[in-house]
Amino acid sequence: MPGILAPMLTKEEVLKIGRLARLELTPAEVEFFQSRLTRVLEYVKELDAVGGDTEGFVRHVPKDAVSVREDKVVNFANIAGLLKNSPDTEENSFRLPAVLEGD
Amino acid sequence: MELDKFQILDLLEGYQKRQFKPSEVVTKYLAEIKRRNPSLNAFLHVNETESLRRAKELDEKMGDVEKMPLFGVPFGVKDNFLVKGWRMTAGSKILGDYVAPYTATVVERLEAAGAICIGKTNLDEFAMGSSNENSAFGPVKNPFDLTRVPGGSSGGSAAAVSASLCPFSLGSDTGGSIRQPAALCGVVGVKPTYGRISRYGIVAFASSLDQVGPFSKNVWDSARVTEVMAGYDGRDATSARNLVPKYTDSLQRVSLKGAVVGVPRDWVEGLDGDVKKSFETSLELLKTEGAKLVDIKLPHAKYSLSVYYLLATSEASSNLARFDGVHYGARAKNPESLEALYNKSRGEGFGREVKLRIMLGTYALSAGYYDAFYLKANRVRRQIQNDFAEAFKTVQCIAAPTSPSTAFKLGEKTDDPLTMYLSDIYTLPLNLAGLPGLSVPCGKDSQGLPVGLQFIGKHFDENTLFQVARGFESARGSFALPRWSAEGGA
Repeated sequence: MPGILAPMLTKEEVLKIGRLARLELTPAEVEFFQSRLTRVLEYVKELDAVGGDTEGFVRHVPKDAVSVREDKVVNFANIAGLLKNSPDTEENSFRLPAVLEGD
Repeated sequence: MELDKFQILDLLEGYQKRQFKPSEVVTKYLAEIKRRNPSLNAFLHVNETESLRRAKELDEKMGDVEKMPLFGVPFGVKDNFLVKGWRMTAGSKILGDYVAPYTATVVERLEAAGAICIGKTNLDEFAMGSSNENSAFGPVKNPFDLTRVPGGSSGGSAAAVSASLCPFSLGSDTGGSIRQPAALCGVVGVKPTYGRISRYGIVAFASSLDQVGPFSKNVWDSARVTEVMAGYDGRDATSARNLVPKYTDSLQRVSLKGAVVGVPRDWVEGLDGDVKKSFETSLELLKTEGAKLVDIKLPHAKYSLSVYYLLATSEASSNLARFDGVHYGARAKNPESLEALYNKSRGEGFGREVKLRIMLGTYALSAGYYDAFYLKANRVRRQIQNDFAEAFKTVQCIAAPTSPSTAFKLGEKTDDPLTMYLSDIYTLPLNLAGLPGLSVPCGKDSQGLPVGLQFIGKHFDENTLFQVARGFESARGSFALPRWSAEGGA
């Protein structure tokens, strides 16, 4: 497993992370996040020094806290309340702006 | 009636003796909120009409006092909990005028027990922060000193109880967001075991860490609120089926004699100043009262900050994907493409700390970095859990500080993310291990600011926490909170 490097992120990398995270960033934000992200990533490098990880992944903590209910369809009672939160609706549906690209 | 001195038990007794009615109590609290909230900013919205309507309903049912464990007790909820028909902001601009279409399970249970929800409290945006300075609606002020932070992220809920704007309140705790503000505001705050309380109807931040819990003025009150909220809920797949003891029953007569309390000496090494002094004095007190103190080791706890800021942000980057202007959230105007619609809506709607954490999580989960960051953090998380499991072989609970410092000045820690994150070093490991924790006021620093003592328990053993904390509380004696009429206060 490769170790954690100490990356001083470039502006391009910050913009790339922003795109992956679906965040439009202003130039001032890019600079702000460049230093902040680098600062945190440098700190978490300390984990490299921790050895002896034999048991691995944590899924649920504690194990009792997993309880799947019966697989039965339940209707949500307040459809009108859900629709109210949309800027645009039609009958029982949400209306979205047309955003298809191309022809 | 001196409501600012009232705890839940006083209210219940007053109702039993017919000294006052719920509508009179609610009216007084609402008036005090009106008077002091402008300077504290603890409540984001207060629903006067609805809370008075509920109170008047209960006026007609005074005979039910004995049957309803929280009859006529007003409370505030952090504004990342849903209450049907009420606005919910999660402290963010992105939710716009979102109105909750249903009510969180815990609020339903409290109301069924007679409690009255009076309003929604301020918080760091999406519960991300340790000072409340990340709220899109302005920071909350600490009732002990208006130039200082109340802690976070449930700062509004902590300040509301500390300032006696309500007898109890609810918060969510992902890395310390109940216990740390409780400590900084001089009140009791509880993060129960992961899975103990339903999270249905609470905005998800980091799903493997989030838990719901109460703030109150004393341990008994928190025990009462917890026993009403706890227990299985089919609508939350992480809610446990374990039986819930009636915690208040075991608080009738409490003694610390024979209690075996672990002290993680290696972990608290770096502590200094007044917090260290208070912590040591508290340990002495526990000993005087008959508790047996045992040195324990938590060698991996010191890595909690790194583990937390990789795992919590990873989970947040996924959980907050739904706020995109389509599924949820204010929609950006005139996007040129679907991607632009998402990116703009999120870019405009989220504050900086939320963006930072989403980006951190995105980075930690991205191809090429996943093993080094996310997976590695998860493995160390397991080791932190193992440390606690080992310690609990010899002790019933663990005592630790809640926060390394008392309430700091507004703006004091905003320049460096790590300095802020370090406020939570003593609370984070519990979330990573799923353990219950309780913060109880244990003293004041040289400036009169509260210090918190944290008790950490075994999974699903809140009962021991409540007993030990109650024992400590009665040995400590009364703890003065700012009074309603306080000069120079809020």
